[in-house]
Amino acid sequence: MRRGLRRHEIRGLRRRQGASRRRNLAGLTCGLLVLALAAAGCGAGGGRTGSGKPTAGGTATYALPPNTTPNYIFPFMPGQYFTQVNTGNLQYLMYRPLYWFGTNGLPYLNKQLSLAQPPAYEGQVVTIKLKHYRWSNNQPVTAQDVLFWMHMLQAVVKNSTSTMNWGGYVPGDFPDNVRSVRAVGTDTVRIVIKGSYSRQWFTDNELSQITPMPLAWDMTASGRSDCAVRLTHCTAVFKYLDAQAKNPSTWAQSPLWRVVDGPWQLNSLDSQGVLTFGFNPGYSGPVPKAHISKFKELPFTSEEAEYNVLAAGGSNPIDVGYLPTVNAPVPPPGHSVGANPLAGYRLQPLYVWGLSYFPYNFSSSDPQLPIISQLYFREALQLLENQAAIIQGPLHGYGHVSTGPVGSFPRTMYLSLLARQGDPFPYNPAAARNLLTSHGWTVNPSGISTCGRPGTGPGECGKGVRAGGELKFSLYYATGNTWLESALLQLKSNAAQVGIDITLIGKSFNDVLAVVEGVGPGCPAAGCPWELADWGLGWSYVPDYLPTGDELFGKDSFGNLGHYSNPINDVLIKKTLASSDIHVMWKWENYLTKQLPVVYQPDAPSSLLESIDSLHIGTQSPTLAINPEDWYFVR
Amino acid sequence: MTSYIVRRLLQAAAVLVGVSVLVFGFLWLLPGGPRHAILSGTGSGTQLAQLRRDYGLGNPAVLEYLSWLGQVVHGNLGYSYVENASVGSLLAASLPRTLALTVTAAAIGMAVAIPAGLVQAVRRDTVTDRVARGLSYIGYGMPSFFLGSILILIFAVRWHWFGAEGPQSPGIAGVLGDWRDLTLPVLTLAVVTTAIFSRYVRSAAIDSLGHDYVRTARALGEGRLRVLTRHVLRNSLVPVITLAGLSIPRILTGALVVESLFNIQGMGWRLWQAAQKHDFPVLLGFILVIGAGAVIGSLLADIGYVLADPRVRHGRS
Repeated sequence: MRRGLRRHEIRGLRRRQGASRRRNLAGLTCGLLVLALAAAGCGAGGGRTGSGKPTAGGTATYALPPNTTPNYIFPFMPGQYFTQVNTGNLQYLMYRPLYWFGTNGLPYLNKQLSLAQPPAYEGQVVTIKLKHYRWSNNQPVTAQDVLFWMHMLQAVVKNSTSTMNWGGYVPGDFPDNVRSVRAVGTDTVRIVIKGSYSRQWFTDNELSQITPMPLAWDMTASGRSDCAVRLTHCTAVFKYLDAQAKNPSTWAQSPLWRVVDGPWQLNSLDSQGVLTFGFNPGYSGPVPKAHISKFKELPFTSEEAEYNVLAAGGSNPIDVGYLPTVNAPVPPPGHSVGANPLAGYRLQPLYVWGLSYFPYNFSSSDPQLPIISQLYFREALQLLENQAAIIQGPLHGYGHVSTGPVGSFPRTMYLSLLARQGDPFPYNPAAARNLLTSHGWTVNPSGISTCGRPGTGPGECGKGVRAGGELKFSLYYATGNTWLESALLQLKSNAAQVGIDITLIGKSFNDVLAVVEGVGPGCPAAGCPWELADWGLGWSYVPDYLPTGDELFGKDSFGNLGHYSNPINDVLIKKTLASSDIHVMWKWENYLTKQLPVVYQPDAPSSLLESIDSLHIGTQSPTLAINPEDWYFVR
Repeated sequence: MTSYIVRRLLQAAAVLVGVSVLVFGFLWLLPGGPRHAILSGTGSGTQLAQLRRDYGLGNPAVLEYLSWLGQVVHGNLGYSYVENASVGSLLAASLPRTLALTVTAAAIGMAVAIPAGLVQAVRRDTVTDRVARGLSYIGYGMPSFFLGSILILIFAVRWHWFGAEGPQSPGIAGVLGDWRDLTLPVLTLAVVTTAIFSRYVRSAAIDSLGHDYVRTARALGEGRLRVLTRHVLRNSLVPVITLAGLSIPRILTGALVVESLFNIQGMGWRLWQAAQKHDFPVLLGFILVIGAGAVIGSLLADIGYVLADPRVRHGRS
């Protein structure tokens, strides 16, 4: 499964692999397999949606992303464990977040699956009223459980260490922007906010982080503790629970982790990483009458291994798996999916709610900063990024054009009217060339263009660009992603037409991020010089679901890896934090679309889901959380 | 003989310590090594100090090495913060699967290679020999991922004779018991083993067949089969024993490509993951185990050599 970064990953210490990585070797294997399949005359079969009479019970098997298994059960994760697979494939199944996001294929608040009513705002006061959920130890989910989490957040952030921290923490945000939090009765929590924030922002990006914890966990090795009431107890409780989370082989039997309020309980985790969940009969949330009773997550060493098992079928087929992109059938015009190569399965592309891009380096250490700072240059490069061709080519027709700083798919209300019109910079090498020549560049196709007219006047190269300055850039990219490598090779080739020389430097995902952070292996003490860096798909908006740009594009903001700085942008972003008016967000979005702080690249599918026809799974969420309690076999 | 073995054991222990120093030192000094990876990035002075304490860093390298070695001697190979599991538990999960796979493949490979090599030697330059040699070249030259993919396509996907992935049951017994899922990955590895070993056996057997003692044995009326098994085979096994001993590191490191293709979370795959993720405790622990295996393998090969060749046992004249 491919995914973008989340804010916890940009902490400079550790980088997580949430994305699927295919090696060139494995890509070749897939290619050979496809050829062999064709030669063997295996026909393509279309999958029909599972329809028929729903039956209760049964075990559904689900293929985990390759080389990825959940490794942290405690839903208060330090940065190194703050991954989608730990939340969506483990914790959220058992421990429901206070507010659930993802409804009808859109990343909006799901009132039905949330543990509380939508928050009520009155000035700086937020009132959260809990529904009547129960833990599996028959205790109600109460305001104290919410306070337990909030107090732990406050204590851990204050005493943060390398191994004790909240992976989603952003300085200035939760809990720094909370003046007080208290329980009012057993089912109501009142939070007083510091600062001016829109209701939607606070709900979607702050309250979204809370996962109530049962008081049964409020303990240390010595016995009962009181973190839910006293902040000073919380670090000890964290250390105890963190220690309990350190031995995955004990999770299934642990009396702590078996206390759940979600629809599933972990029954077993074997040495290979196979997780087996049983339905929690005490689950208080909505479930269909007929649903599966067991759910198994299967780990795989590679996409190819998973695809082989999927294709082989047999008496124990994978019920929900994924198709490697290299095997993806090209959709005919007007269709979103092609003819499924797997008979008896339904193909469903899944796109993560996020933004696909790669940043420029606007920091002063970049020798090419004067050129990168020129808007006309960024426009020229964006005009050379042929998103449509990348989607048709390396992505086999699966993907969406990124149109600006807000993700274009799924199409949400956050996408401005301008962005909905399509690619604002469609591929146009002639226009790119004109931009360069009209700004004093001597364009040298297949060579290196140079600045012929330095200066800041009209028709000149721009401030700081010296005479003879060259359009020569390094682009670090994460290896193991076949479509990405093809796309960047295409960009390199396109750019060469106008004399922009791009040197592609392949490194592992972790190492690309390390270079961007200035600490890459082999880099000198001052950091590796870089102009462009592409680690994959950019950014995913989980659990900060509202794409207000404060994390990615604000000056000095957490996820602003390219150190982009624009005062007008900062003012507009600030307004989006304080106003729920969608037009305020659109205004910022339209402005930044034209400023091109990053290179927008196609939004590739997170995975091409294959679900067996006999299992109904519905539309999957762009937040990548799964709801197997809604799945059922059909007869 | 006893003194020889004792001497070799002492040498093996010294080599093992040397291996541990090299492994620790190289990984420590590598760009992107644990010092770099862990201490880089942001953090207050207090946090960095805590980080150093958490990872046992900040002391002189010698002290850190001795601390690590002390833990290893007590059976603690360290903890992987990347995988959130002890290195020992990861090893316990990976090593049996790899051993079951690679030892089975090696055993099958040798069981086929030895008689095949003998037959080729006896029928040297005949059609049989040429065909067998051709098959050896193909087997030796064929990339394992290609062979494995073809086997999966035909025998798993198309004909459903065998499983498309390796055995998923835990433990050696679980893996060996699941013959249906074990067959294809073992076959993929065994083809290469067979190809390599048969070439060596053939060569050694041809050499033996030309010696006087074989002619003498025949002259004394011994049948062809008896000559082969009693005289030629034993002498032909010497290079095989050496090869087998030297193969132990390869057996322990598993076969990354085959493991990745057949969904086997073995040593090779785990090592590759650790390298990708800069998981240095796992790299250290696993490489140390493999190094130990290499040393032991070499020792066993030497002992086997001594047992097989009386000239070595009694000193060459």
